Amino acid sequence: MPEQSLTILVVEDEPLVRMDIAEQLQDMGFKVLEAANADEAIEMLGGDTEIRIVFTDVDMPGSMDGLKLAAAVRDRWPPIRIIVTSGHRNVTMNDLPADSRFFAKPYKAAAIAQAAREMAG
Amino acid sequence: MARGGLRGYGTGLPFQLSIIPMIESNDPILQGGGECGSLLRAIDWSSNPLGKPAQWPAELRTIVGIALNSKQPMLIVWGPEQTTLYNDGYAALCGVRHPAALGGSFQELWYDIWEKVEPIITAAYNGISTSMDDIEFTMHRHGRPEQTHFAFSYTPVRNGQGEVLGMFCACVETTRSVQLTRQREAERDHMLQVFEKAVGAIAMVSGPTHVFTYANEDYLALVGHRDVVGKTVAEALPEVGRQGFIELLDQVFESGASHIGRGQPLQLQGRPNAEPELRYVDFFYHPTRGADGQVDGIFVQAIDVTDKLAAEQYQTLLNRELGHRMKNQLALVQAIVGQTLRSADSLEMAGKSLSDRVAVLATAHDILINGVGRTTVHDIVRQAAALHDGNREHRLRIEGPELVIASRPALSLALIIHELSTNAAKYGSLSTQDGFVNVRWRVEGNHQPPRFVFEWQEQGGPQVAEPTRKGSGSRLIRAGLSGTIENSVNVDYAPGGLRCEIVAELSSLQTES
Repeated sequence: MPEQSLTILVVEDEPLVRMDIAEQLQDMGFKVLEAANADEAIEMLGGDTEIRIVFTDVDMPGSMDGLKLAAAVRDRWPPIRIIVTSGHRNVTMNDLPADSRFFAKPYKAAAIAQAAREMAG
Repeated sequence: MARGGLRGYGTGLPFQLSIIPMIESNDPILQGGGECGSLLRAIDWSSNPLGKPAQWPAELRTIVGIALNSKQPMLIVWGPEQTTLYNDGYAALCGVRHPAALGGSFQELWYDIWEKVEPIITAAYNGISTSMDDIEFTMHRHGRPEQTHFAFSYTPVRNGQGEVLGMFCACVETTRSVQLTRQREAERDHMLQVFEKAVGAIAMVSGPTHVFTYANEDYLALVGHRDVVGKTVAEALPEVGRQGFIELLDQVFESGASHIGRGQPLQLQGRPNAEPELRYVDFFYHPTRGADGQVDGIFVQAIDVTDKLAAEQYQTLLNRELGHRMKNQLALVQAIVGQTLRSADSLEMAGKSLSDRVAVLATAHDILINGVGRTTVHDIVRQAAALHDGNREHRLRIEGPELVIASRPALSLALIIHELSTNAAKYGSLSTQDGFVNVRWRVEGNHQPPRFVFEWQEQGGPQVAEPTRKGSGSRLIRAGLSGTIENSVNVDYAPGGLRCEIVAELSSLQTES
C-alpha cells in the first residue's frame, strides 16, 4: 500500500465495467474518480489537480472518443499519464501520445494498477 | 414457289403443242436429252413460233444442244414470243407443269409468279443478266414433297450483231448447302437463345477493331442498354476504351491466348448519357477462330461482381464488429463476476447468482437477435420476468407503450429487472402470497429532451426497511442503463413497498451504440 494514494480518473461509458474497475482500484489503494464520457472527463480534469493518471476506453459516445481525449490530455495537462483500453479497435501505439500504455479488453485490474504506479513514477 | 393447277393449257394458248410420235425429228442437235429430248423431237415445229429446228439460228441450236446434254437444269426462253425450252433437269423444277410447258410461252409456265419473273426476263431481253442465289421449289423427286433450293442466272443470248435473241438460264441446285447453312443458323440461333438468358454478360466482337456482333440481355444491362451491335468497342463504349480494355482485346486478338480478369474495377456508364459509376467485374476474353484457323473475333464474358464484393466486405466488417462486441460483452461479464464475488456471503451463493445473471444476459441476447433491431421494452420486461419465475408472471402487472430499445440498454434493463425480481422474491412483495409489482414505463415527451421513465413499484409485501449492507444486486441496479445519457436510478425503500425509478434520455435509449 503506497503511503500517499495515487489519483486515477476512469473514463468508461459502460457503467458496470466502470464501477467494477473503480472498486478494484480503490481496493488496491488508489483514489478513483469516474467519468462516463470524454466531456465529463475534461470537466473533471479542469477542476481536479490531483489526477495523475487517466485510464480511458476508446469507444465512447459524445464529441470525443478515448483517442481524442488522450491527445487533449497530453496537450492540456502534459504531466498526466494516459492508459488506454479498447475492445473495438486494434489501437496501435502511433494512435497514442508518447509514454502511453494500451490494454485490450477484457483486462486485469492488477495490470492496470501496476502500469499506473510505474507511470506515475 | 406455289404449285398451282395449270390454267388454260390447251384452250387459250397462243401456240399449239402437238406431239406426233410417228414423225420424230432426226435433227442432230435434238439427239439424246432424255425425256425432254424425245419430247422436243416429237414436237410439230411447223406450228411453233420457233419454226423448224433446222431453220433455228445458230445461237439457239448451240444452246439447245448444250442444254439437252447437260445434267444441270437449263432453260432457254427464245424469241419475241418467249418460247420456253428446257432439259430434264429443269423439267423436274416445273412439277406438273411439265410437259405442257415445253415449247409454250414462258409467262404461261410461271403465270402465278409472273410479277417476280417478268422484270428479270425483261431485263435479260434488254441485255442485262440477273442472278438469284436462292429460289425455293417443292419437288417430288423421291416420291414425297421436298423443299429444294436453286441458284439461277438469266443470261441474255445475243447474235453476231449484238441483238438479244433470247435468254439462257443455267441453274445450280443449292439445296444441300442451303440446308447446311440453315442448320448452322439454327444452331447459332439456338446457341444465342442459350446465351440470351445465360446468367452473366456475353458478347461477341469480330475482327481486329472488335466490332460487336452479339450482346445478350445481361451484357446490354451492364452497359446501360446502349446500342452496341455493329459498332466497335471503342465507339460503343468509349469509357471502357479509355480504361485499357481495347489494348487487352488487341492482345487477345493478336496472341490468340485467352485473358481472365477478376474483380477488375471498371468505370461503367450504367445508363445512356449517365455519369460512369465504379463497378467491379470478373471478365473472360476467349479468341474465336474461323475456318482457316485464324483468330477472327473474341468471345467476351463478364460478371458484375460489385454487389458480391460489397457483400463480402460487409461480411468482413460484420465479423470484425462481432469480435469487438464479444470483447465488450466479456468485459461486461467480467465486471458482473467481479461485482458478484466482491459482496457474496458464500461461494455457493455467488455461483448461483452468477449463473442466473449470465443466463439473463444470454436470454436477452436471444431476444435481441430475434428482434433484429425491433426489440421492445415489453419484450425485455416480459422475458426477464418469465425467466426469473414463470409462475409469478401474473403478479408482475406490466403496462407500457410499444417502445423500441437498443441492445446495450436492453441488456442492462434485463439484468436490472432480474435483480429487482430476485430481491422482491427474497425480501419484497413477491415473498408473500398476495404481493405484486406494478411494472410501468412511459415516455415523457414534454421533457427536453424527451425521456424514458421506468417504474418498479412493489405492493402487498412485508414492511420494507433500507438494508444495512448493499449487495451486488443493488450495485447492478444502480449501474443503470448502459449506453444511455442523462441516466439516473433511484431506489426508494418506502415502507409500503420498494420503488425503483429509472430515467434515461429517450433517443440514447433507442439508438444503437
